Amino acid sequence: MAILSLKDVKKNFGITEIIRGVSLDIVEGEKHAIIGPNGAGKSTLFHLISGRYNVTAGSICFKGQQIENKPPYEIARMGLARSFQVTNIFQRMSVFENIRCALFWSKGYGYSFWHLLGQQTELNDEAMHVLDQIGLADRAKFPSGELAYAELRALELGVAISSGSELIMLDEPVAGMSHSEAQKAVELIRKITEGKTLIMVEHDMNIIFDVADRISVLVYGEIIATDEPTKIRANSKVQEAYLGEVHSA
Amino acid sequence: MLEVFIFATLNGLVTGFLLFMLASGLTLIFSMMGVLNFAHASFYMLGAYFAYSLSLYFGFWGGLIFAPLIVGVLGALVERYGLRKVHASGHVAELVFTFGLAFLIEEAIQFFWGRDTKNYQTPDLLDFPLFTLFGQEFSAYRGFMMAISIAIFIALYYVLTKSRVGIIIQAAITHPQTVSNLGHNVPLIFMGVFGMGTALAGLAGVIAGPVLTTFPGMAAVLGSIVFVIVVIGGLGSLAGAFIASLLIGLLQSYAIASDVGMPDLLNLLGISFDRSHPLNDLWTMNLPQIAPVLPYLLLVLVLIFRPTGLLGKREE
Amino acid sequence: MALLKKSSIWIAFLIALLGLPLVFDSILAISILNQMVIAIVFALSYNMLLGQGGMLSFGHAVYFGLGGFLSVHALILIEFETMVFSILWIPLIGGLFGLLAGIFIGSFSTHKAGTVFAMISLGIGELIAASSLIFSSFFGGEAGISGDRTFGPMFFGFDFAQNIEIYYVAAVWAFIATLFMYLFTQTPAGRMANAVRDNPERAEFIGYSSRKVRFISFCASGLFAGIAGGLFALNYEFITEENLNAATSGRVLLMAYIGGLGYFIGPIIGAVVLTLMNSLLSNYSELWMLYLGIMFLLTVMYLPRGFAGFIMMHQIAWIRGNMKLLIKPYIITAIPALLFTLCAIALIEMSHIEDEVFHYLGLELNPASPITWIVILAVAGGAFYAVKRSLVQLNDAWETANAIPKEEEA
Repeated sequence: MAILSLKDVKKNFGITEIIRGVSLDIVEGEKHAIIGPNGAGKSTLFHLISGRYNVTAGSICFKGQQIENKPPYEIARMGLARSFQVTNIFQRMSVFENIRCALFWSKGYGYSFWHLLGQQTELNDEAMHVLDQIGLADRAKFPSGELAYAELRALELGVAISSGSELIMLDEPVAGMSHSEAQKAVELIRKITEGKTLIMVEHDMNIIFDVADRISVLVYGEIIATDEPTKIRANSKVQEAYLGEVHSA
Repeated sequence: MLEVFIFATLNGLVTGFLLFMLASGLTLIFSMMGVLNFAHASFYMLGAYFAYSLSLYFGFWGGLIFAPLIVGVLGALVERYGLRKVHASGHVAELVFTFGLAFLIEEAIQFFWGRDTKNYQTPDLLDFPLFTLFGQEFSAYRGFMMAISIAIFIALYYVLTKSRVGIIIQAAITHPQTVSNLGHNVPLIFMGVFGMGTALAGLAGVIAGPVLTTFPGMAAVLGSIVFVIVVIGGLGSLAGAFIASLLIGLLQSYAIASDVGMPDLLNLLGISFDRSHPLNDLWTMNLPQIAPVLPYLLLVLVLIFRPTGLLGKREE
Repeated sequence: MALLKKSSIWIAFLIALLGLPLVFDSILAISILNQMVIAIVFALSYNMLLGQGGMLSFGHAVYFGLGGFLSVHALILIEFETMVFSILWIPLIGGLFGLLAGIFIGSFSTHKAGTVFAMISLGIGELIAASSLIFSSFFGGEAGISGDRTFGPMFFGFDFAQNIEIYYVAAVWAFIATLFMYLFTQTPAGRMANAVRDNPERAEFIGYSSRKVRFISFCASGLFAGIAGGLFALNYEFITEENLNAATSGRVLLMAYIGGLGYFIGPIIGAVVLTLMNSLLSNYSELWMLYLGIMFLLTVMYLPRGFAGFIMMHQIAWIRGNMKLLIKPYIITAIPALLFTLCAIALIEMSHIEDEVFHYLGLELNPASPITWIVILAVAGGAFYAVKRSLVQLNDAWETANAIPKEEEA
């Protein structure tokens, strides 16, 4: 059963075609990686799914409902959460506040101006629990703008996952991390996406082959292959278009 | 009827070109630094006051040449020692800084020149009617204002599109990093453009001072209007600012010259109201009365329906 | 325990509000106190927009002014017995109308923050200020409108003819308004306002429409600005176009900014300091607006987070118990800095004064004599040099006081 399905999605910026007809089914519970050379349109695809951009043509279905061209907040409320490639948090608020804000909607607070946050014990405990998970519990009161890079990435993840969404999309979650930091981050991703569907853009092949159940290869706005990691590795088209480039680089 | 129309058009064009002299500097500064200079009209006021003081010793023409230069240098100093420092705190801080500057300049002018209106006069040389139409005179000074404004407009166009400096400025607006890597001193360019923009505002003040009266409130009179123009024209678009300047100039001029109002409209529709009706003000409203409101109404409408302005591309 | 600590601050605030007129009981003091509580509510409502919600408004006086106009109209209706209720509820009418105006204007202006919002607020501010002069039967033209607060049912025998009586009404209202504005920051809507201020895009990806979050803050801010306008109407019993034009909008921006936008207490500090300056300084010097302008620019340049930010800067040093390291360098810098400021003020005043003798700090200076100028300039120069020298020391002390202790680093 596909939780997310894209049918012939296209996106043009002016006359430039960035996404040139992508069709893709994401199965519920799978860990799906999207790879491709720089400029292939991976981030654009994420922006289309999460509602940041409108599609030029095609349809996107999430849990059986059409979501293309809906505003991001409506898509997020349906249970689709995402992180960003460039850290994108609430920089003047504390680490704890960042997580707590990310929890509001799924906990049913909406636009309430009649609940006092100090009294919402369950909500506050949940926020601390997320902080525990991402290893930032001791940084709870720290201004988030002043965190170290790896901590920021962890917070970025935390904001994405705290809404309890079924589908989580991570855009290059370990980019720019040292090897050991990346290892820790992968463990964290594995832990927090347990039982959920994950779509991930990543450049580090080791991590992808480690985490992903299936891989899609995006080249110049088109998916040239979707398959299990071992088969992708063996796919000649992919090697030619993408992996070959990596080796030569 | 025709004479009213022609004179309203001429006056509207004079105002429009004058407004463009302010709006062009403001637009350049905005496209360069991303900040709307709230104090821009204050530099215009400084221009008028400096020119007034200089004209006491060197005559009108001395003021015309030196006052804009002084204002330009002051503007460059403000950029170098004020705005650049605030830049690190973000756009809101910059906007607030220029807002405070406008406040301070108004106070400083009252400190140095006093609160009263200055007797800043048009030069004798231009004190004759340029032509007489339907028995109404069009003063040579207004013609002179228009000539200067058009000359500035053409010069600006050439400098920006044809000269080397202009090309570097345009490049520095969009790609400051690259221009810097090419060995150009970007902060210096910024300071220069800020100085030039304020000098233009100063020049506008010099030539507007004798006509629009030189008093401490003259910046406030024009300040918001110039803001309205650059926003309506589309932030960062010189062509948009030009169109909007003329549009606002003509709009206000026509509104003031016309004497139609709600009573005429109501008569046309065959409706009449008692004088004691609670909305009497509404039924007796006429166009000259609401002329000052029109630019702001236009601004709000443009911002709601086309937030990028007429020719603006910049999406926030 | 935390609750007790929090509520003790509020009780202290209430006691301060109610106790101040007992300490400062002159007519002038009561009038200043009245202005102060009005300014506090107004500045706090502005902070809801800019400080909490990231919306820079150049037209906040609109809600203050409209609330005030409606309140004066309500006073008139009470006077002519069209309506019968105690004038105690007037601020509520102001608030209600501020809220309505906020709902109407917010419905189309909160689409974006940043420059677009700032420009719309400016346009609407000018639009309404200019229109108010056209619709003179409601706004009273240049002269404004006036009412009389002594009509309506008495409240335990008070008819509110005295300023002190109105002060207590205003103080209670200010306390309630402040409390509710604080509580608003402690709700999901208030927190999301901060989140949208910091990053409107990300807020959309955690399920919130940035526009709606802004809209809620905007309406709440209109409500409290309207309450402040109602208090103004009660206090002065008249209101004019000046109370809803750009000058008033600018003044509230100054107050909130100088006080410190990021902190709840900032605008309160700003309101108190500026009201005091306005009332006291204007007695001594007609140039006080010039000083205000200079102070404002210096604040933007050197204390971007305002007075409150300056105080909060010492948090780390305070926690580490290093404040004592800072006291001496602060005093060493402060003395020449004060001297320099005094000299600068003397120079400014002397160049403006027309009398033959300038009385300044108990001295009698002769503005006509060049010696006076040379001496003051020399002292100012010396003081400036001393400040520059001592700043180096102060900077070192600051580094030491805020340095991370060795064991924490390891």
